[in-house]
Amino acid sequence: MSEARQEILRGLRQGKGGGPHAGSWQSPRTFPDLVSRFVEALEASHGETFVEDDAGAAVSRLERVLVELGARRIVCQDEPPLDSLDLPERLPAFEWHVVGQTTGSLRAICAEADVGVSSAQAALSETGTVVVDSGPGRSRLVTLLPPVHVVLLPADRLVADLFALVEQQEQPLPANVTLISGPSKTADIEQTLAIGVHGPRRLVVIVYS
Amino acid sequence: MTASTGEFRREAAVAVADAHLQAALETATGRFRTAREIVLAELPDADRLRDHLKAVRAATIANLAGYLEQFEQNATAAGAHVHWARDAAEASAIVTRLARERGVTLAAKSKSMATEEIHLNDALLAAGVTPVETDLGEWILQLAGEPPYHIIAPAIHKTRDQVAALFVQETGAPLPDDNIPTLTATARRELRQRFLDAGMGISGGNIAVAETGSIVLVTNEGNGRMVTSLPPVHVAVIGIEKVAPTWNDAAAWLALLARSATGQPLSIYTTVITGPARAGDPDGPEEVHVILLDNGRSRLLDTVYEEVLQCIRCGACLNICPVYREAGGHAYASPYSGPIGAVITPLLFGVENYPALPHASTLCGACQDVCPVRIDLPRMLLELRAEEVRHGLASTTESLLEKGAAFVLAHERLLRLGRGALALGQKPLVRNGQIRLPAALNPARERDLPSFAPRSFHQLWEELQDE
Repeated sequence: MSEARQEILRGLRQGKGGGPHAGSWQSPRTFPDLVSRFVEALEASHGETFVEDDAGAAVSRLERVLVELGARRIVCQDEPPLDSLDLPERLPAFEWHVVGQTTGSLRAICAEADVGVSSAQAALSETGTVVVDSGPGRSRLVTLLPPVHVVLLPADRLVADLFALVEQQEQPLPANVTLISGPSKTADIEQTLAIGVHGPRRLVVIVYS
Repeated sequence: MTASTGEFRREAAVAVADAHLQAALETATGRFRTAREIVLAELPDADRLRDHLKAVRAATIANLAGYLEQFEQNATAAGAHVHWARDAAEASAIVTRLARERGVTLAAKSKSMATEEIHLNDALLAAGVTPVETDLGEWILQLAGEPPYHIIAPAIHKTRDQVAALFVQETGAPLPDDNIPTLTATARRELRQRFLDAGMGISGGNIAVAETGSIVLVTNEGNGRMVTSLPPVHVAVIGIEKVAPTWNDAAAWLALLARSATGQPLSIYTTVITGPARAGDPDGPEEVHVILLDNGRSRLLDTVYEEVLQCIRCGACLNICPVYREAGGHAYASPYSGPIGAVITPLLFGVENYPALPHASTLCGACQDVCPVRIDLPRMLLELRAEEVRHGLASTTESLLEKGAAFVLAHERLLRLGRGALALGQKPLVRNGQIRLPAALNPARERDLPSFAPRSFHQLWEELQDE
């Protein structure tokens, strides 16, 4: 199909060309309190949030959330800071499956898990968004297939908006970067909001300092 | 598909006469309009950001070849395969060849107007591959055998009862009731298995970022993530105009896309795909293929229509358009309806096949006002109308009327005489000061004309001068 490539590019080059690139947009977005804006924005799109003082309180909150959900089987990313929180040891009441440390098909485990637990590589206050990357120990399916996705988010990963994110994003990019701004939803039938079409029905973000 | 004047009018008349459909259209477009206004008002400098994005889009389109090559180079370096398709047949042939070579029999698709445009599903079926649409609205339409009604909300015209009937027919299982959460849960269950079984995931692409060779995909349901994460092969079909040179440009695009489309600050999921799964990734596709689709786009460069390539496909112009809101999406007989569809459909698929569309507008200008990149659609609708006249596509009646009008307007006495005659002759047709045209000329009953005043301005002016 290189013939098609040549022809399309030749056609495009016959144009008169244009001026220079328009330059970068300097976003004026700032928030006096990144955490409170994040909470407000995520809850507006039906996400659930908790704000905790430290990692210990965040783990206790995670336990209460899992108990309240009646969760049993948990699938969890193997990534910092989760790997240093010793979740399976501290919350032994649940059946933990840590990415890369389980036997059997990760896909089947994610499809049958009650909850997927991850951290987030960054988060956007403006839109209440968590950013999850793919990579070693970071499964795409942990944050997608279980009916509930719980995120443990260190507060210092919050930035104002998308422009701030792309500014700090290192390249090359991971194969998959996903920005998540709420639980899966649709309004495709009679414009009526329905939560939980294909992705998780609930998104719980525990922000901690 | 085509839209002759008669076909457009017939379809529009059906929509106008359908009270349910009119209510559904008004609810859906009304919600989008209100939400859009609210989120844009919350964004500081929204108007400046729109100007900036327009400048970015204009400069990108003018230098498209270079940015596409940069995209190709970076995507290839990340391990993706980049293909080029001059037209619909070439694009479909690439997808079916990939499917055949890999023994794929089931393909899961996320919503993509580019694949609608190339009729990919028909090509897949002919090649023995079953395509399953996984966007809830698109799945409903696939079961119903209908094209999308709106580029963002494809099934806005379907009632919950109609959806329930389609689902019962598909699953063979009775539904406990027809409430929307039950219907949504049914779709989740049915389609989850298809995602897991599919040998290929097919998506469109909202943006191709040249700087990193990435494809950006936005969805609210999460099906875009499913089709790009679960199947071993992911194929994205994307129009050549949807390139953003840098990530800062892509951020500006994303900051306006969902806000203009559904009135969300961002869609629920924004997925950025840069090649297939890397070594060490626990999951993800083994292969990623990107098909860059021309299909009539490159020939618009350096024409009076070049600006239309700046479109980011948000659908805001559909929601504001007084014609779309009454006539509905199917009258346009194209995946692209509303004002943007009335311009790009004839441009991509032939003015001669869609002669009605440039006239499906009151030229009120609302589409240009709401367009995030302020595309002058009214100007292009007029250009297309002129093109129809140049190509002899205007109807004989219209040509004769226009020629007659031109003659009368050029001869003042004739004009005065004619006006006087019409002011008298209109009398049997006037109701409440409006001329009600006979049904043959006014099938949708949508058009009353103001009646001629008893005396012309000219006459009144002369009387005033006398006083």
